[in-house]
Amino acid sequence: MANREENAMWSIFGYLLSGLLFWGGIGYGLDKWLGTAYLTLIGLLVGISGAIYLVWLRFGRQ
Amino acid sequence: MNPRGVSVRDLLRSSSEGGGFVPPSSGDFELPPIFGDNVYTTKPIALVFLSVILISVFFIISSRKAAVVPSKLQFAGESVYTFVRNDLAKDVIGHDFLRFVPYLFTLFTFILVNNLFGIIPLLQFPTMSRVSFPYVLALTVYLVFHYVGIRKQGAIKYFKEIMFMPGVPKAAYILITPLEILTFFLVRPLTLSLRLFANMFAGHLLLLVFILGGEHLLQGVIGLKLISPFAFAIGIVLTFFEFMVQCLQAYIFTLLAALYIAGALADEH
Amino acid sequence: MEGTLNLVGFGLAAIGPGIATGLIFAAYINGVARQPEARSVLQPIAFLGFALAEALALFGLVLAFVL
Repeated sequence: MANREENAMWSIFGYLLSGLLFWGGIGYGLDKWLGTAYLTLIGLLVGISGAIYLVWLRFGRQ
Repeated sequence: MNPRGVSVRDLLRSSSEGGGFVPPSSGDFELPPIFGDNVYTTKPIALVFLSVILISVFFIISSRKAAVVPSKLQFAGESVYTFVRNDLAKDVIGHDFLRFVPYLFTLFTFILVNNLFGIIPLLQFPTMSRVSFPYVLALTVYLVFHYVGIRKQGAIKYFKEIMFMPGVPKAAYILITPLEILTFFLVRPLTLSLRLFANMFAGHLLLLVFILGGEHLLQGVIGLKLISPFAFAIGIVLTFFEFMVQCLQAYIFTLLAALYIAGALADEH
Repeated sequence: MEGTLNLVGFGLAAIGPGIATGLIFAAYINGVARQPEARSVLQPIAFLGFALAEALALFGLVLAFVL
C-alpha cells in the first residue's frame, strides 16, 4: 500500500484516539473541578463525534 | 489472591475451611476504578480502549505493504475482512451491501475482541458482560436499520409497511399490528443486546464458579483437595467452550444486524 | 431445602430451549445426512437457530441471578 495511504490510516487512528482522550480529559477535569458526574461522558461524546467529523472532512470527501 | 481485590468472599473464605465458600454472583462484575473514585476508569473501560487500540493497530499493520502474494499477517487480516464482507454482508444484504461492510466489520471485530478478553489470561473479563456495552451496540444497530429503512422508502411508507404488512387479510391486522410494533421497536434491540450480555455474563460466571470453587476446595481437608483437580479440569474444558461461544456470539450479533438491515432495505413490496 | 424460587424458575425456563436445540440440530444432522454437500449451506442457519434458542435459556439464567 502506498506510503501516503498508510500515513492516512495512522492519522485517522490518531484523530479518533486524540479526540477521545482530549475531550474526555477536559470533561473529566471539569467533573473533578465542579463535582458533577456526567461531564466526562459528555466530553467523551463530543470528542468522538468531533473526531469522526474531522475524519470525514479530511478523508471522506474526495 | 484473586486479581479483583479483597471482597467479602475472600474474608469468609480465609476464615473457614469447608463451609465458607460464597459463590460468585453479579456483585463480582462490579470492578473498582483504577484511579480516582469515579466510574470512568474501571477495568472494563480500560479493556474497551485496549480492544479498540488492538484492532486498529492490527488492521493497519496487516494492510500496509499489501502484496499480491500475501504475508501471513496480511492473510489473517484479509480473511477476517473477507469473512465479514462475503458471508455476512454480501450473502445477507444483497446488492447494496458495500455501504454496510465497514459498520458490520467494526461490530464483528469489536465484539469478538472484547469477548475474547474473557479468556485471555491477565485480562480475564469479557467487557460485554457489563450490560451497558451491548445496550449501546444494539442501540446503534437499531438506529442504523431504522434510518436505512426511512431513507430508502420514506418515513410514512416505511412505518406503514411495518405496522400494516401487505398481503395479510384485513381482519388479521388487529392481531398482527401490535405484535409487529412490539417486535420492531422493542423486542429486536432488547433481545439483540440481552443475548450478547447473557451469554457473556453466564460464561464468565461459569468460569468463576469452577475456578474459584477449585481454589476453595484446594484449601479443604485432604478429601476435598483430591477433588479440586477435577474442578480445574472442568474449568479448562469450559474455557474452550467459552471460546466457541464468544466467537459464535460475535457472529450472531453481526448476522442479526445484517439481517435487520436487509429487512429494512427489502423492496419486494 | 434452601435456595430461592429463582432456581426453580430457571430450571423450568431451560426446558424449552433444550428441546429447541435438540430439534434444530436434529434437523441439521438430517439435512447433512441426506445431502452431504449441503453442509456449508446449512451450517450458518443451524448456528443462527441455536443462538436464538439459547438466548432464552440464558435470559432465564441471568434473571435468576439478577432478580
